[in-house]
Amino acid sequence: MIRLALATLVALSLGHPAQAQTRSITDSAGRVVELPEQVGSVLAAGPPAAILLYVMAPDRMLGWPRANRADEREFLAQPHADLPELGTLTGQGGEANLERVVALQPDLILDFGSLRDTYVDLANRVQAQTGIPYLLIDGRFENTPAALRLLGEALGVPERGEALAQDAEATFARIDALLAEVPEAERPRAYLARGPEGLESGVVGSINTEILERAGGVNVLGRSDTARGLVQVNFEALLAADPDVIVTWDRQFHETHRDSPLWSRMRAVQEGRVHLSPVLPFGWIDRPPSLNRIIGLDWMAAVFYPERHGIDLRARTRDFYRLWYHLDLTEDQLDRLLP
Amino acid sequence: MIAAEGLSIGHGVRVVGRDLSLTVRPGEIVCLLGPNGCGKTTLFRTLLGLIPALAGRVTLGGRALSALRRAEIAQAMAYVPQAHVPPFPYLVEEVVLMGRTARMRPLAAPSAADRAAACAALARLGIGDLASADYSRLSGGQRQMVMIARALAQAAPILVMDEPTASLDFGNQARVLARIADLARAGGHAVILSTHDPDQAFALDARVILMHEGAILAEGPPGQVLTPDRLSRVYGVEVAVERTETGRAVCAPSLSTPAPERRAS
Amino acid sequence: MTDDAIATTRPARRLSVVAWLALGLLAGALVALTIGPFRLTLPEVLAALTGLAGGTAEVVVWNIRLPRVLAAMLVGAALAAAGASYQVLFRNPLVSPDILGVSSGAALGAVCGIFLSLPVIAIQGFAFLGGLTAVALVIFVAQAVRGVDQTLVLVLTGVVMGALAGAATSLLKVMADPYDQLPAITFWLLGSLASTTRADLGPVLPAVLVGLVPLILLRWRINLLSLGDDEARALGVDAPRLRLVVIAAATLITASVVAIAGVVGWVGLVIPHIARMLVGPSFATLLPVAAILGAGYLLLVDTLCRTLATIEIPLGILTAVLGAPFFLWLLARGRRGWT
Repeated sequence: MIRLALATLVALSLGHPAQAQTRSITDSAGRVVELPEQVGSVLAAGPPAAILLYVMAPDRMLGWPRANRADEREFLAQPHADLPELGTLTGQGGEANLERVVALQPDLILDFGSLRDTYVDLANRVQAQTGIPYLLIDGRFENTPAALRLLGEALGVPERGEALAQDAEATFARIDALLAEVPEAERPRAYLARGPEGLESGVVGSINTEILERAGGVNVLGRSDTARGLVQVNFEALLAADPDVIVTWDRQFHETHRDSPLWSRMRAVQEGRVHLSPVLPFGWIDRPPSLNRIIGLDWMAAVFYPERHGIDLRARTRDFYRLWYHLDLTEDQLDRLLP
Repeated sequence: MIAAEGLSIGHGVRVVGRDLSLTVRPGEIVCLLGPNGCGKTTLFRTLLGLIPALAGRVTLGGRALSALRRAEIAQAMAYVPQAHVPPFPYLVEEVVLMGRTARMRPLAAPSAADRAAACAALARLGIGDLASADYSRLSGGQRQMVMIARALAQAAPILVMDEPTASLDFGNQARVLARIADLARAGGHAVILSTHDPDQAFALDARVILMHEGAILAEGPPGQVLTPDRLSRVYGVEVAVERTETGRAVCAPSLSTPAPERRAS
Repeated sequence: MTDDAIATTRPARRLSVVAWLALGLLAGALVALTIGPFRLTLPEVLAALTGLAGGTAEVVVWNIRLPRVLAAMLVGAALAAAGASYQVLFRNPLVSPDILGVSSGAALGAVCGIFLSLPVIAIQGFAFLGGLTAVALVIFVAQAVRGVDQTLVLVLTGVVMGALAGAATSLLKVMADPYDQLPAITFWLLGSLASTTRADLGPVLPAVLVGLVPLILLRWRINLLSLGDDEARALGVDAPRLRLVVIAAATLITASVVAIAGVVGWVGLVIPHIARMLVGPSFATLLPVAAILGAGYLLLVDTLCRTLATIEIPLGILTAVLGAPFFLWLLARGRRGWT
C-alpha cells in the first residue's frame, strides 16, 4: 500500500515537468526545439540576434552582447538601452561564459545569422550543455519577413511579428517597384568604402555589401573567384572601375577623403557623391549586417536614385524608428540622422 | 711592457686570485702555466682590461690600464684567442684586416696601407697564400695562425695568447710554437701565453709563472720552477722531469696510482 | 697573387656588383611604373615623370604608382638593411629584424590606434612609437641584467617583449568591434602598401636615411661585432656602445617602415642571406647589396600583390609564401661559402 503510494508520488513528480506546457517549434535549420509556453526571458547569442530581439520584444531582453555607447543609448528605448553587457556566443568577437548564461536562466537562447554547420553544431552543443532551448534563425536579408514571423510565434507575439514582417515586405516591394522602372544600364555603379582609409570593401556575394545590390546598385568590385567576404582594394583598380556613387559609414573616411591626394581624383568624390550613412543606434547599411538595414534600403535607394525614388526619408525614418525601435524621434535627432 | 702589481682578480664578489704580480718585457716569452680552473683565463681577461681588477693595477708601458681608452689599449696589446669558427664566412684577409681597426680612425674603412700591413702579417707567418681563402674552411692550425697574423697586423708590441695550441694536432702545435718563439726573439714582441702543458714551457725556454688555485706558486726559468714535486702537487699526478739526449727537458706523467694530497680541482 | 693585386681586385669587384644591382633596381622600378590597370607604356611613364604628359597618366603615375613603388623599395631596403645589421650583431644568420620586438611593438601601437578609431596619421604615429618603445624597454631590461652574455639576454628579452606585445594585441582584437575595427586590425597586421600616398613617404624617408647613416659610417667596425664582445673590445672597439648604436639605427629604420606598411616578414631574414651568398659577409658591401636586393624583392612582391587579382593580396602573405620556401631551399643547399 505504502509502496503504491510511493510509486504514485514518484510518478506524479516525474510527470510534473511534463505538465508544464511546452510547444514545439521548428527553427530555420530544421531543428525541432521545445519551448516553454511562456518565454519570459531571452538571451541573444550575438549582435544580429540582439537587434532582432529588441525590435520584436525588448521586454524579454536580458542584456546586450556589447554594452551600448552613450550616443547609441540615446536612440534606444529605455529601460532596454541600459541593460548589461553579456558577451557573444557566436560569430566574431568573443565568448560568453556558459555558466554565466545558465546563471541568467533565460527561457530561450536566440541566434540570428548563418546556418552553416558550425553554427548548427554550436546550437546543439549549447542546448545540450545548458538545457536551455536554442533557436537558430536564418539571418539572410531576404529571409527577414519569415524570420520576424517565426520569432513572433516563438515568443507568443505573432501580431507583432506580423506587423514588422509586413513593414519589411512593404519596403522590399517599394524598392522593387522603383527598380522595375530602371533599366540595367541606368543602375548606378556603387562602392562601399569601409575602414578609415576606405580601401576595405566586399565583393558581390559578401553579406556586408549585399545591400548595394538590393537597393539597385551595381557593386563595382564584381565577383571574385578567390574572396567571399571582406577584401582590401587596390586603389588604382578602383580608380579604373570609376564608381558613380560611394557609400560609407566610417566617419573618419568621410571627413578626410576630400583631402586625400588619392581619393580627390575619384570622379564620384569630385561630383560630391560620397554619402555617409547614419549609424545610430545600429548601422543603417552594415554593422551588423542584419535587419537594421531595412531602413538603410530606403536611404540607399534615395542615394542611388535621387530624382526617382519618391521616398519621404524623414517621415519614413520617423515611422521606422517608432515601429521597430520603439522610439519617437525628436526633430533634432532626425536632423542628426539625416543632415 | 706590461706589468701587474698586487692584482686581485675575479667577478664581482667572487675572488678568483689574490696578490698577483708579473712583468713581461719586450723580447720575452712568459708562459703562464696551471691546471684548468686555476684562474689563468680570468687573469688574462683582467690583463686585457676586459674585466676590472678587484684590487691592484695593471700598467702598460708605465701607464695605468684603467686610464687608457679601448683603442689605446689595443694599440699596445694584442689578444690572440683560441681560434673558433665564426658565424659568417669571412675571407682570411678580412679577418686579418680586422686587426688594423685599432689603428684606424673611428669612421674609416681600411686603407691601402692597412691592406698592405695585413698581407705582410700573413707573409711573415708563411701563410700568405691563404689570403683569399674562406676562414671558416681552414684547418684548426691554419685558423690559429690567422689569429696570430691578425695580432701582428695590429702592430702591438705586447701579445697575449690564450692557450694558442689548444685543439691543435702534434705537428701544428710545434709549428705554432716555433712562430711564437720567432716573434719574441726576432720580432721583439713581449709575449705572454697561457698553457696547461709544461713541455711547451721547456720547449720555448720561456720564463714560467706557475699558478695554482688563484695564487702564483713560483716564477722563474722552467728548469727551476717546473720541478717534479711542484708539478705533481699542481696537477695531481706523479710527474718525472727527464732530459733527452739533446738536453731538452720533458715531463713524463705517470699513469699509475694518483698522488696522495691532491684535492679535487 | 701579388699584394697589389689582392689590394685592388676585391673592392673593385664588389663595387661593380653594387653598381649592376643598382642599375637593375632602377630598371625594375621603371617597369613597375608601367604595370597596372591603366595601360601605360614606358614612354608615357617617362613623359609623366618629367611632367610633359598631363591628365590621367600624370595622376596615375605621380599620385598612385610612384609613391607605391618608392615605398616598396624603401620598405624592402630598410628591412633588409636592418636584418643584415642584426644578423652581424647577434652573430647568427637566422635572425630577423623583429628579434627585439620592434614589429610586435609597432603592431600593438597601430592596433591601439585602430581600436581608438584614430585617424590614419595617428595610427602610423602610434605604430612608430610602439616599435621604438618596445626595443627601448628590451634594452633597458637587458642592461639591468649584468654578468651574462649580453646578446643572449637581449634575444631572450626580445622574445618576451614580442610575446607580451602579441598578447596585448590579441586582447585588443578580442575587445574590438567585430564588424568595424577587427577587419581593419586584421588587414593592418597582414601588411599592405595599398594606400600609400606621397605624404606617407614624407616622414619615413628621412627617418630611414637618418637610421642608415650610422650604419654606413660604422660599416667596417660593425664587422667586428661578429667576433663577440671580448675579441671586439680587445681589437679596440667599444662593443657595448657600438651594439647600442646599431640597435638604435636598425630599430629606427624598421619602426618607420612598419608604421606605413604594417607587418611584413621574411624580407629581413632572407635577403641578407642572399646578399651574403653574392658578395660575402663583409658589412661594407653587405649593407648596400642587401638594401638594393631588399628594395628589388619587395618591389616585385608588391607589384604582384596589386596585379595578380582584382583584389589586393596582403603584402605579408605573399612575402611569406615566396620567402619561406626559398629559405628552406637555401638551408637544404647547405652552402656556407661564397667564393
